[in-house]
Amino acid sequence: MQRRDFLKTSIAASAAIVGTSLSAGTTHQPNDTREVSKMAFPEKRPLITYSDRPPLLESPRSTFTKQLTPNDEFFVRWHLPDIPTYIDPDAYTIHIDGLVKKELHISLKELKHDFEQVEVEAVLQCGGNSRSAFDPIAGGIQWGSGAMGSAVWKGVRLSDILNRAGLHKDAKYIGFNGKDNAAYYETPNFVRELEVEELNDHVIIAYEMNGEDLPYLNGYPLRLVIPGYYSDSWVKMLSNITVTNKYKSLFFMDVAYRVPDNECECETPEEKFKTTKPITTMNVKSVIGYPENGMKVYHNSHIVIRGVAFDDGHGIKAVMVSTDDGKTWEEAILKKGSSRYAYTAFRFAYKPEKYGKVNIMAKAIDRLGNEQPLAKDVKWNHGGYKYNGIDTVQVEVI
Amino acid sequence: MKKLLLLTLLTYTSLFAQVKGEVAVPYISYEIKMGKGFEAIQANCLMCHSFGYVTNQGPQSRDFWHKKVMKMITHFKAPMSNEDVETTTNYLFEHYGNGKLK
Repeated sequence: MQRRDFLKTSIAASAAIVGTSLSAGTTHQPNDTREVSKMAFPEKRPLITYSDRPPLLESPRSTFTKQLTPNDEFFVRWHLPDIPTYIDPDAYTIHIDGLVKKELHISLKELKHDFEQVEVEAVLQCGGNSRSAFDPIAGGIQWGSGAMGSAVWKGVRLSDILNRAGLHKDAKYIGFNGKDNAAYYETPNFVRELEVEELNDHVIIAYEMNGEDLPYLNGYPLRLVIPGYYSDSWVKMLSNITVTNKYKSLFFMDVAYRVPDNECECETPEEKFKTTKPITTMNVKSVIGYPENGMKVYHNSHIVIRGVAFDDGHGIKAVMVSTDDGKTWEEAILKKGSSRYAYTAFRFAYKPEKYGKVNIMAKAIDRLGNEQPLAKDVKWNHGGYKYNGIDTVQVEVI
Repeated sequence: MKKLLLLTLLTYTSLFAQVKGEVAVPYISYEIKMGKGFEAIQANCLMCHSFGYVTNQGPQSRDFWHKKVMKMITHFKAPMSNEDVETTTNYLFEHYGNGKLK
């Protein structure tokens, strides 16, 4: 053994010892090796499939070359196994009750004709998107980076509906429930409860996605759209809105989808932070759609690196691209969406001038100056939420 | 004219529901390891979710799997006997474990 090698080994060994005693959580690039399944789900093309019941589908990397995510490529995540597979649009109504002056039953037809119709282009992302980046492995589905998408959502403002019902003075919370059911009667419904103050005019009840009916698996015929927020609150197949003045204790609000309530939203695997808070708004993030990991590209050819970037609605100021392991960064060309909640598409002209493996990295910066950390600098949390590390793909120049 | 017709068709498609009648979510048979306790897994887990949920959690500690089983009972109200809690936890740790107790 060379002396240098020996030194390296002993440093590694002592690091390992320190590592086990401290056992800090670490993060790395999320899993990018899963392939789309052979089986297509209704109104979907074949996607990465984690479960059929409840359905859990992830978009492959190539989806993120597009500013709008096509409906048939849009990811799917349900929590309960029993999803209605037939809905009669002529009979469907949404019910508004609780602390309102007038209870409402609104049919789909009334929703489309008796209210102002509005549209918002907005990103929908699972709070556990990229969970496979966490080590030790955080509990939950080991998503790659494809549990996200962006669409133009058309519907009616929630505030218009609540105004028509008339909120009581002491109305404080609004609960949203969809038509999905558990196998056992006693299992809690997937109800979301939000504070009245959190719900601004941008929150809509949508029936259309990119100019078409919502696909069944994305919540046909109605879903809540809360631009800037993670998707756990975008209730699908929305059927009930209940206004209350007391917070009900709910599993999906109080136990799931929460991060440590400290500034870094982080903790160690051995000493979990005692208090937690809901994941709520999204942090700045970008994903490269092209090229993909393992692709071969020709020396001196002209490559266009493409991808999408977003945050919680402050807007993307810049996307920086590096092809030299982060030593130098250059600005990509941006194409904004129609709203500040939408994907900002980016492209970057790249001419590979040296042979061999090259790491292509993309880093988004939002208008507040928040920028994505390196994958290894993302702080660990036990639920594996809110990962937003700089995306890296490795290509080989031949 | 053909173009015009196509355009008209495209414009009108959004007015129709995309699906007529019932949708069918396909059944996927996820590969799962056989072994002692598998019957308990089949009886208790499959009621609510596919094996995909088990195999896509990544290798985990015994403590993790025990907590998962308990979560199914406490929060999701799965009617499981104490004996099945032991059996399923042991099975999950043996086949989908990371070798660590905690």
